[in-house]
Amino acid sequence: MFTDRQPRRFLDPQVLSRLAAVPLVPRKPMVGTVSGRHASPHRGSSVEFAEYRKYVPGDDLRRLDWRAYGRSDRFYVKEYEADTNLRLCLVLDTSGSMAYASAGTSKIDYARRVCGALAYLASQQGDAVGISCAADGIVRTLPPRRNPTHLRLVFDVIEEADPSGPTRLPEVLHEIAETIRQRALVVVVSDLFVEPEALGQAFSHLRFRRHDVAVFHLLDPQELGFKFQRPTRFLDMEGGGAIFADPIDIADRYHRAVAQYLDAVRELVLESAIDYHRVLSDEPYEQLLARFLVGRAAGRGLR
Amino acid sequence: MTFLQPWVLAALPLVTLPLVIHLINQRRFQTMPWGAMMFLASARALSRGYSRLRHWLIMALRMVAVAAVILAVGRPLSRGWLALAGAGRPDMAIVILDRSPSMQQRGAGGDAKLDAGRRRLAATLDTLAPSRCVLLVDAERPPQELARPVDLADAAGTPPSAAPADVLRMLQLAYDHVREQAAGSTEVWICSDQRANDWALDDGGWGSLRDAFAKLPQQVRFQLLADPRPAPGNLAVRVASARLEARGAGRELVVTVAVTRQDEGARTTLPLKFEIGGATTVVDLDLAGREAVLKNHVIPLERSAATPGWGRVSLPADDNPADNDFYFAFDEPAPRRALVVADDAAARRVLELVAGIPPDKDQRAGADVVDPKNLAAAPWDGAALLLWQADLPAGRDAELVREFIDRGGQAVFFPPESPAPGRVFAGMSWQAWSAHAPAARPESWRSDQGLLANTLSGGALPLGDLEIRRSCGLDGDGVPLAALADGLPLLVRSAVQDNAYFCATTPAPRDSSLAAEGVVLYAIVQRAIERGLEPLGRARQFEAGGSTTRLPPAPWNRLAGPADVPADARGAQAGVFAAAGKLIAVNRPAAEDAGRSVADERIDAAFRGLSFARITTGAGSADSLVQEIWRAFLIAMLLALIVEGLLSLPRRAMPARTSGFPAVEAAA
Repeated sequence: MFTDRQPRRFLDPQVLSRLAAVPLVPRKPMVGTVSGRHASPHRGSSVEFAEYRKYVPGDDLRRLDWRAYGRSDRFYVKEYEADTNLRLCLVLDTSGSMAYASAGTSKIDYARRVCGALAYLASQQGDAVGISCAADGIVRTLPPRRNPTHLRLVFDVIEEADPSGPTRLPEVLHEIAETIRQRALVVVVSDLFVEPEALGQAFSHLRFRRHDVAVFHLLDPQELGFKFQRPTRFLDMEGGGAIFADPIDIADRYHRAVAQYLDAVRELVLESAIDYHRVLSDEPYEQLLARFLVGRAAGRGLR
Repeated sequence: MTFLQPWVLAALPLVTLPLVIHLINQRRFQTMPWGAMMFLASARALSRGYSRLRHWLIMALRMVAVAAVILAVGRPLSRGWLALAGAGRPDMAIVILDRSPSMQQRGAGGDAKLDAGRRRLAATLDTLAPSRCVLLVDAERPPQELARPVDLADAAGTPPSAAPADVLRMLQLAYDHVREQAAGSTEVWICSDQRANDWALDDGGWGSLRDAFAKLPQQVRFQLLADPRPAPGNLAVRVASARLEARGAGRELVVTVAVTRQDEGARTTLPLKFEIGGATTVVDLDLAGREAVLKNHVIPLERSAATPGWGRVSLPADDNPADNDFYFAFDEPAPRRALVVADDAAARRVLELVAGIPPDKDQRAGADVVDPKNLAAAPWDGAALLLWQADLPAGRDAELVREFIDRGGQAVFFPPESPAPGRVFAGMSWQAWSAHAPAARPESWRSDQGLLANTLSGGALPLGDLEIRRSCGLDGDGVPLAALADGLPLLVRSAVQDNAYFCATTPAPRDSSLAAEGVVLYAIVQRAIERGLEPLGRARQFEAGGSTTRLPPAPWNRLAGPADVPADARGAQAGVFAAAGKLIAVNRPAAEDAGRSVADERIDAAFRGLSFARITTGAGSADSLVQEIWRAFLIAMLLALIVEGLLSLPRRAMPARTSGFPAVEAAA
């Protein structure tokens, strides 16, 4: 499908082919626009039996279960599950801090690969894909669409994402929660360098709107380990001021602050029932996505 | 604290090296774009108290480690509380050894105090490594340089002595040596058992010596290695007298022996061993209390026994072997001849009678009355005593009398009726007569020693019964032996000539009752004759440490006594020696047997104003007083580094790489 275009740097066909074996499924029933392969909260015409319902005038007589009538002398209508398509909304953090890379892959590159792979997988199974780039606000956005041309636009947005500016992720998530009218799978790929309390409110908002929220919490190994030896003047990549510190002197307090932050994130994730994945940028993204897809497939069937 | 390599301490500023490195490191900062600023801001907001404390602790421990290395390389010495004296490595160390008999007291390990102290000093000085080491063992010998401090441990060079240690004079020699050699910092080490007779702290020389040391430009420190531990059960034997008497066809040796003990021990029987002419006899002596006397013990001798002879009295072994033997020499008693020179006839008659009556009927005695104008013809050679009641001698007469006194003769001067003004002899001169009405009586006299000493039985001479009707004034440098009630001297010993005595009255009845109460005068005269006979006889008793001017010159041939006596130790080692046809029995002085120690406070007072420290040790301990303690500093460095390492470890584990949310992930 990319034969007529330059290959995307963030897409690896071999990885995609391996990941395609596992379907991308939501944890909640989705409300789609067309028939698809995902469960819907409504009754429909699939082959999967849902329940019996008493006949009321106006029901289609073809849906009467005559055998039940023969056994009970009452009219019952036989109902089946409805299948619909999935609306995947990707939220890509493009704040300045996403450009950090202690060695090898930067967080934004890692996020591009995750978003690209998920967009491709969803599109391949006929689901709609949209994307929003979040920084100081929503920098760029594409609503979910199903056609391949739209996928190409999504890839363009991913490729052109430029990390800069401060992070206002909670506000962006609130806006997305209000913007997406129907149930969708919202995947957030970010380093979450925001106050956990504000973040928790945004996740609650998404949950209230009955979206299935998944979060890929991207961190660089150095951001976790803080293994510096020399005194360092740290420049804020999101445009703030600089901080001078002796890492040997401050390391223990830094680790304490990180641990407190992660504990707070853990709490809000548990409260909001978010599908949370903390990942370091030195971890192969294929493993991360495989774990993500398999975990969701294991919980398939919930409606 | 003392260092053997003090120049290494110049590197002590390197202690600040960790601080300097820290400051340089602070200036060599790097600039880095950083995303997780919120954590940095939180970390800065968190409490910095412990972190700052830990930071400075680590810095301090690094500095301690560097300091410990430098101090260890400097080879520090542990001197215990001696460090309070601020001692350092001396340029010169002067060792003063107390080799008196009391230093032969054995400790628990069997080592004598002298040997143990000598070894400790050798080990100490070997560690201190002074540039020069000087040894003082005797007030009569000049300081001797030691090639190495360990040579001090060689007992052959510093054998025990029978003489008391004259610490004051040895310190004066040390002062002279320090001043002459112009040495730098000096340490004077004194090894002594603090016996009173060795230190003589009543001597006025201590004050002047203290002032002299204080005025020295160089620093002089005094270290007293003291071992004043007493020996309560120690016994000492002493022969009070040994005289040869004729009994019928044979002769007898009459010996009076005293055994003293330093405490009131239990009653015991001592076997006294007499060794005379190769024959040994043992006599049991009951000892109860502190002293027992075997008085006039008779030992029969063959008529043909050679004279002069010698003998030895021994006690069984005890804590101190140096006072278990006493040597004595004996000879046929010499004629007790006295010369009488008197202007007054009454006095002359009394003096002639007193000097001519022997204390023992078997002894020969006599007095020769000499005309003052014909002194040269007098029998000076055989005389032991000169009784002079005339104007003090002058000119040729004075020379004759002075020669007589110098060879050991005794002289007692009585005042003439009309003393010649300005006539001085032996530093004394007669003044005017004064009459006493009623008659004056002696109020005080020296009863412990000298001519007026108590009798052997302990009774005092009846001086208080004397009546002095007239006395002649005395002027000059003398030591009063007896004084009247109003402080006027009665009997004075010349400070210039020890053997010259001056009596302020005459035995004439108009002047005193010396003749009527003849006991006092008789005792004075006979005791003086006894003293005067000593140089005349062929057998002499000599107290080690006394003046050797009247002793025969070297060489001395040792007949008895310790075998390791050096040839030049004339009069300092116990034993019997033959020299110039005489026998000389040398023994420790009587004060050595008393065992009195000087209180620490008195010694402190003697060194007041000087750098002085005392190390009191037990006998037999031979450990070095100074030890190298660089190992302790290395251990301190290791401990500092270990603690620094522990403090430098990260206090909090790095947060988990993954979420650690199995429930959440499983639910997904």
